[in-house]
Amino acid sequence: MTENDSQPSTQRTGLSARVLGGGIEPDPRFTLANERTFLAWIRTALAFLAGGVALEAFAGDVFPAPVRTGLAIALLLVGMVIAAGATVRWIRIERAMRHSLPLPLPWLAPILAAGAAVATGVMVGVLLFR
Amino acid sequence: MNPRRHGRAADPGLQPERTTLAWNRTLVSFVVVAAFFLRWGPEHGAVVVVLFGAALAVALGIWLTQRPRYAQRTETIARNLHRASVGAPLLLGAAVVLLGTAALVVVIAL
Repeated sequence: MTENDSQPSTQRTGLSARVLGGGIEPDPRFTLANERTFLAWIRTALAFLAGGVALEAFAGDVFPAPVRTGLAIALLLVGMVIAAGATVRWIRIERAMRHSLPLPLPWLAPILAAGAAVATGVMVGVLLFR
Repeated sequence: MNPRRHGRAADPGLQPERTTLAWNRTLVSFVVVAAFFLRWGPEHGAVVVVLFGAALAVALGIWLTQRPRYAQRTETIARNLHRASVGAPLLLGAAVVLLGTAALVVVIAL
């Protein structure tokens, strides 16, 4: 094993170096766990996108058209925020691990909870009081 | 995959396999979203083919990179040379945001 094998982080250039911001390459287990967590958030974002698409496609007669489209837009927006936030969070976790810093708090979790709660509340409210 | 080369206990946690499966689940999610977009056809017209194709293209991109991704990771972990891959997460996050933007445009304007 050469010097480069134990310090692979010194060879990073270009985009990788700018995104990851130096530090030492962490244990592959943690890097890959971070990637899997990111993918789980992406699937959550896709579920919101699919929910918005499905609402617009299937709920034609259940809601008045403006409510239906409004809810669909809200769900699409939540999905996009989660996807963008997941990417930022993936970068922040990767940087924290490379510098042995504490991991950032998951501020996406309350957004997810609030988005799901509001969407459900509005749907139930519209169904009950329309 | 050559078991003599990759099957040793360099990684008893099967990290590349678990991560490749996570990418696989994400791939399936994109296919589901693509299929949902087709249901917009009657209301929003032929433009939904673009949304359908875009979501399917992301799924195809994941599918085509799965094998190299798995091979590269088993190899680098076994040789203690593993590095975080930066491009794939950034591309995927951007793809979802763009897909959502396109869907918003179709819902609002078309």
